[in-house]
Amino acid sequence: MAFARIANFLSFIFLLMMFLLIIRNSLEAQIRMFAMQSLVLTALAGVVAYFGGRGELAGVAVVLAIVKVIVIPSVLYRAATKIGLQRAVAPYLGPSMSMFICALLVVVSFYVMAPVTSSNPLPTADGIPLAFAGVLIGLFTTVNRRRALTQILGFLMLENSVFMVALLATYGVPLIVELGVFLDVLVAVLILEVFVYRIKENFDSMDVKKMGALRG
Amino acid sequence: MEMILILLLTIPALASALIVLGRKRETIERIHTISSILSFIAAAAIAVMIWRGQAVIQWNLLRADALSAFFAAIITFVGAIAGIYAVGYMRLDESDPGRIRVFYALFQLFVFTMLLAVTTDNLGLMWVAIDGTTLATVFLVTFHDSQTALEAAYKYLMISSVGIAMAFMGTVLMYYAAAARVGEIGLSWTSLISIAAQLDPGVVKLAFVFILIGYGTKAGLAPMHTWLPDTYSEAPAPVSALMSGALSTVGVYALIRFKSVTDITLGTAYTSTWLMRFGLLSLGLAAAFLVSQRNYKRMLAYSSVEHTGIIALGLGFGGYWGTVGALLHLLNHALSKSMLFILSGSILLKYRTTEIRGIRGLLGAAPWTGAAFLCAIVALLGLPPFGLFISEFMIFRAAFEAGSPGYAVAGIAFLALAFAGILASVNAMLYGKPEGDLETSDPLLWHIAPVTLNVILLAGLGLVFPNEVRAFFDQLLLIVGVSH
Repeated sequence: MAFARIANFLSFIFLLMMFLLIIRNSLEAQIRMFAMQSLVLTALAGVVAYFGGRGELAGVAVVLAIVKVIVIPSVLYRAATKIGLQRAVAPYLGPSMSMFICALLVVVSFYVMAPVTSSNPLPTADGIPLAFAGVLIGLFTTVNRRRALTQILGFLMLENSVFMVALLATYGVPLIVELGVFLDVLVAVLILEVFVYRIKENFDSMDVKKMGALRG
Repeated sequence: MEMILILLLTIPALASALIVLGRKRETIERIHTISSILSFIAAAAIAVMIWRGQAVIQWNLLRADALSAFFAAIITFVGAIAGIYAVGYMRLDESDPGRIRVFYALFQLFVFTMLLAVTTDNLGLMWVAIDGTTLATVFLVTFHDSQTALEAAYKYLMISSVGIAMAFMGTVLMYYAAAARVGEIGLSWTSLISIAAQLDPGVVKLAFVFILIGYGTKAGLAPMHTWLPDTYSEAPAPVSALMSGALSTVGVYALIRFKSVTDITLGTAYTSTWLMRFGLLSLGLAAAFLVSQRNYKRMLAYSSVEHTGIIALGLGFGGYWGTVGALLHLLNHALSKSMLFILSGSILLKYRTTEIRGIRGLLGAAPWTGAAFLCAIVALLGLPPFGLFISEFMIFRAAFEAGSPGYAVAGIAFLALAFAGILASVNAMLYGKPEGDLETSDPLLWHIAPVTLNVILLAGLGLVFPNEVRAFFDQLLLIVGVSH
């Protein structure tokens, strides 16, 4: 069945982007990875709209493309170039250790998602564990990063993954909720952008480790 | 009927828009104050209508039952008290008019998002609204524009966003479980409740864990509470008051809605176990941090974690007394904690420090503020005649009925530890001689007057439990699926 195969393929590519983000050093490349991952998400929304007979998802795909493929990456890119920060990322755990943990998370994901996959009659069901692995890896990446901008990227990938799960498991949540979620994410990124500048000004670094005044 | 529900949401939304357009400071302050009070009147009207027998008020995606009315009343009451205080507090702030305008506009927007969260039937929309509360408050937290406030706000936004993403995952899973049965309307709480018995138990289990972690982050349950002490201590006092009194209750509201669905599918044992674990952890962790706290705003924040833990324990023990106790405790905590944060603002204005070490002789230096602070602390510590004594008693009594005496014993031990910690700190603050020459005067007088209402209500809740109130609580319990 073409639909199931395409959906599986896209889920696989989606997860691949996640791994690429972990090993890439330059911030610019990471932002590009995020944009490409969002593009995969958009493609899936389009595919589900077409094969699954969900017309309104075509609209969602358009909004997705605008918000997550164009607007958010360019906002992040602007922030990244303005602060002139292209050095290596320096997470707490190095790339090889991270890769190992993320691989474990994929296994965990298959185990955790078993009740969902086994009961799901949709042709897209096989991709669910892959997308859910994205949720876990996004969570791990956010915690593992030191710099504000890269933490934000981790969080955005996590958000993308939850969307991916929604698309695969239920062909997306109802339209009004979907639009509300986009609005929230967009506002969050704009606020975070302001923060990135102000953190840079105030702490003379993007390293959130330097923020240690509040304790106990 | 539904007019009043629409009105409840329109008031703060409209006020926020008008404040943005407002020119003069007096106009802005007036719109803000009127809106804060009107919102409470609207919420109270809804509560009265429901208590009089109108079980549900519904309009499109909006829906208010007794549970919504209860929470809306708490939110708007704290909103009104903190709102009136904010006017006095902000007048002493020398920020430029633009910032003041943003402050009031966001304050009203914050109230709006919280009210939307508790009055929508759609769990997806509720998620959007609760995420909106974070976005509306971020710049309120950084209002003082210091390095530490920036640090606090960044942590707050990041941790809340990640937490709330978990809640979205839980919502998606719940929708997935329901969509198989009812399709598109699977996100409506009413339809979810009606088919809860037929949902896939495996999926619902998974969904509830994500919901608990996600909305638990907003409510301030440990170990997801780490943003809370930073944020509450760095935000301006009226904002901390509103966040501690209203925002964390919204998190608990979301948990209760999902719990009532999950309980029908799986029986109460599953959610109980999780809530008791997280509740006890929060209580224990907070008690440990309360023992040697150096900053009084952080002390109050950790005490919020402690009380959220007690509320989670009450919900976990369940049954009639556990649930009534938890809901009453929620109300009592909102009343006492909002009051304490308001007073902490006045203490900060007087002494210019948030260190407990720097505050001596409060009762002598600012008699009214000091006396009110003493009252609120006595209430917070769970001493009679105030309401927290009764609600804590109900909750721990429920523990024995539910057959979890171990949790009760551990909980009471942590409670005693927290009690000792807070008492030692506050004792040092209230008595003694202030350093240097402080004249005897209260920095803000009539602006802290509204908190007498809190004291009266807290005492009332401690002394009486009239049949009318009891009837309202019976309605609440019916909604969450607890029978007498």
